[in-house]
Amino acid sequence: MTLALLLGLLGVAQAGEVTLWHAWRGDERAALDTLVEQYNAANPGTTIRPVFVPYEALSSKIEAAVPRGNGPDLFVYAHEKVADWTDEGFILPVELPTDGLHPVNVDALRLREQVWGWPLAYKSLALYYNRSLVRTPPDTTDALLAAAEALRGPDRWGFAWEASSAYANAPWMHGFGGGVFGADGAVRLDAPGNVAAFGFVQTLAALGPAEPSGALLTQLFNEGSVAMIANGPSFLGEVGAVDFGVAPLPVVSETGKAAAPYITVDALFLAREGAEARAFAGWMVSDEAAEVRHRVGKQMVANTRVEVTDPRLVAFRQQLDTAVPMPTRPEMAQTWEPLARAMRRLVRGAVTPEEAASEAAFQYTIVSRPAPPAADPRPWIVVAGLGGLAAAVWLAREIRGAPLARWRFAFAWVAPAFSAMTLLVVLPFLVGATVSLFEYDQQAWTFVGLANFLDILLARDFPLTSPLSFWSTLAVTVAWTVANVVLHVGIGVALAMLLREPWVRLRGVFRALLILPWAVPSYITALIWKGMFHRQFGAVNGLLALFGAEPVSWFAHWATAFAANVTTNTWLGFPFMMVVTLGALQAIPRDLEEAAEVDGASGWQRFRLVTLPLLKPALLPAVILGSVWTFNMFNVIYLVSGGEPDGGTDILISQAYRWAFTRGHRYGYAAAYAVLIFGVLVLYGRVANRFAGRKVV
Amino acid sequence: MATLSFAGVEKRYGAVQVLHRVDLEVADGEFIVLVGPSGCGKSTLLRCIAGLEEITGGELRIDDRRVNDVAPRDRDVAMVFQSYALYPHMTVRENMGFALSLQRHPETVPRVEAAASMLGLSHLLDRFPRELSGGQRQRVAMGRAIVRRPKVFLFDEPLSNLDASLRNQVRVELRRQHAALRTTTVYVTHDQTEALTLADRIVVLNGGVVQQVGTPDELYFEPKNRFVAGFIGSPGMNFLERLEADVVGVRPNDVTLGAGPHEAEVEVVEKLGFEAMIHLRLGEEALVARVEGPAPTGRVRLDFTRAYRFDRATGERRG
Repeated sequence: MTLALLLGLLGVAQAGEVTLWHAWRGDERAALDTLVEQYNAANPGTTIRPVFVPYEALSSKIEAAVPRGNGPDLFVYAHEKVADWTDEGFILPVELPTDGLHPVNVDALRLREQVWGWPLAYKSLALYYNRSLVRTPPDTTDALLAAAEALRGPDRWGFAWEASSAYANAPWMHGFGGGVFGADGAVRLDAPGNVAAFGFVQTLAALGPAEPSGALLTQLFNEGSVAMIANGPSFLGEVGAVDFGVAPLPVVSETGKAAAPYITVDALFLAREGAEARAFAGWMVSDEAAEVRHRVGKQMVANTRVEVTDPRLVAFRQQLDTAVPMPTRPEMAQTWEPLARAMRRLVRGAVTPEEAASEAAFQYTIVSRPAPPAADPRPWIVVAGLGGLAAAVWLAREIRGAPLARWRFAFAWVAPAFSAMTLLVVLPFLVGATVSLFEYDQQAWTFVGLANFLDILLARDFPLTSPLSFWSTLAVTVAWTVANVVLHVGIGVALAMLLREPWVRLRGVFRALLILPWAVPSYITALIWKGMFHRQFGAVNGLLALFGAEPVSWFAHWATAFAANVTTNTWLGFPFMMVVTLGALQAIPRDLEEAAEVDGASGWQRFRLVTLPLLKPALLPAVILGSVWTFNMFNVIYLVSGGEPDGGTDILISQAYRWAFTRGHRYGYAAAYAVLIFGVLVLYGRVANRFAGRKVV
Repeated sequence: MATLSFAGVEKRYGAVQVLHRVDLEVADGEFIVLVGPSGCGKSTLLRCIAGLEEITGGELRIDDRRVNDVAPRDRDVAMVFQSYALYPHMTVRENMGFALSLQRHPETVPRVEAAASMLGLSHLLDRFPRELSGGQRQRVAMGRAIVRRPKVFLFDEPLSNLDASLRNQVRVELRRQHAALRTTTVYVTHDQTEALTLADRIVVLNGGVVQQVGTPDELYFEPKNRFVAGFIGSPGMNFLERLEADVVGVRPNDVTLGAGPHEAEVEVVEKLGFEAMIHLRLGEEALVARVEGPAPTGRVRLDFTRAYRFDRATGERRG
């Protein structure tokens, strides 16, 4: 089995053998296995070999393997990469049967007059409603608004959806006559239809629960606290004991157009020409195979001749008639963040619909800014060559006359660690540093020299005070680091001192409990705190309410969002300092403090003049380490505030992440950020070392 | 300058009683040595005076002020620890001036310098403790106490970390200091030689109970019980269990050889130059005699110039 998998991954194919990569699990995988078995039995000349690859790894594996000729013959993936992959020549055009497949599924795969895959299944948003609360689902937005208003109670809402998600708001944008792209095919985030849609979103969101995330929607719907939600087919499996129905999204009353959600199509793509592969893929979309995928795999299949009996699934099929294929153009990737940011502000009431639309458009121009001009790499090559030569000369002089033969064993002992460090640290660093000199655009790398660094350091595209500017982010990062380290050390040392007091009972229990925050994986802690800071359902506001305080929108203001981040990270960070202090305290003889006590020092004086100076040698390295960790503490920032409000609480590392992965793959720019972060930390390390080196007991 | 007064002082940790009803009056300027085997409670008693341990019964007064509940820093006592407890991150100057600088005392600098010159530390004032020898550290610890001019000096086995010759030297120096300053001093040691040479009066403790309080002479010549008799004096007193109804105690230098009512056999002779220790067997009992001049061999007759008698059951001295 392992061997087969290995061979499959290596793409070692025999005649008549078709390798198929997919990321299907559970029922879908069972359906695929059934179909493959059936097909192989019926076609003795052909062997279909499905290979499971985890979804997260699938696209990068394809992009790595296919161009080298050791990819699969066929693979299953969502249609959104069609444009990239046709540009690269990873996939080949296909012939589809003339009928049976719903046209919107086929359209999703159509590019330059050709179709690039066999559509298997689709998903889109639709309207889920609780039948005990809603008799007939609203078929217009006016009816939806009326229902949302009418069903609202003290702890109940009529309608909820992920109001700050660009994906979840696409139906309204389309319904109001807008969308991401204008009629001319260019990105038009501030189109009038979008402004109208934003107005509707603002009104509708005000009638729903605060800060609705996917997990919260599930919970509220299952509790019966929300009568209707917009969600995709995967939610079918998450509904609990609620008696529910599904209907297509309503028609926008103002325009008479349907609120059209995006659909995403799972398709079979042909990566290597072969009659067997084409035959199998063609069969996979046939009535016979689609039937199995629907029945066994519970898929919403693209083949409409498959009979659907469950009225809930019928609704998803009806939704197909109005749905819009998710655009596959590369610009699309850069619109998500500007839209989401504008929508968060919109929902929070911080901006009007017009402002939200123009902000989204402005943010888009920033993230989609044209690449810097190509630079001449020759001087760089010369510099790099000279540097390498200098290093070689230096090394040669260092080891000249050294008894190399005698050092052989030493080299042997060091070699494993040396190679591991080279492989895991030095090489990635060098690659990252090199990437920072390039710009990545549309699958192409262009050498741009220091342009990325200049853009970042001179804040060329936005004002210095914008959350996107390097300098304001650096200021936030420094504030973040200082606040955290002060709290970590303060609380850690205080607790360690407390644990040492003779009157503390159950010391071991407390010690274990206090180390616990450290033992829990940080992302779990971060997610828990994120939930606790929720405006409506969070424990923190619940606690404040006991004292009669108004609920705080923690992530709507910079100071509170920053405080929420710092609180979370302090919770994560103080145990380390406490453990270090506890260890260091063991090494301080008790009679020093007794001597100070007899000498007339108060408790605070004893701590400040005797204990603390003696803790310093142990604490300083911990503080240096802790501040470097905090400086790069991606998890908390990303998971708790997520940079809210408006990227204001982002730190350098999360900013770098966003440039690389949510703002249209600006890898070079992000790598330049990473190099700058490295530079800042090296500088800090040097200063801190000098400071620490002076006075160590 | 102060007096100390203990009235029924007790200390217990939970069920364990480490000090039993200690009654003691210490006169102003007196040098008191607490002596006893390890675990006898002498250090605990010292720490009770400093306030580092709370008294669980009885009353402790410094200069007629009841200090049972007074914090250490308000007792105006200075303590020299066995480990010296010098602050490692401070120079000698800062160490010695620590207590005064806490009070922002105007005479901090002159007093530190005076104490340093008295102790021969003037050239070391800017060194850190880790740069000093054991003896120098010991003197800094003493200096730290002297600078404060406290009511009472407390010493917790201050010489135990020094080598023998240095110990003798510091012992003399301590005595000289005390003669000069006349500060009431309580000094803890397990070494009876230190006790005899330093003390105005010695308090012998065993198992948390005061066995006897007296001058070195009183303790040596008139021990109240078998424990004190055995503890004070070196080499220790011989105890002969089978000679009479009571236990007979004889100091090695009270044994005369050559004539007398008893006959013993010489087993081992330890020559110490001027004198010799003769290990004898008297019947079934072992006995040490200290003699000057040539050592005998074989069987000798012997007599006791002075003997003490102790109750076999209670260990109390009789007559």
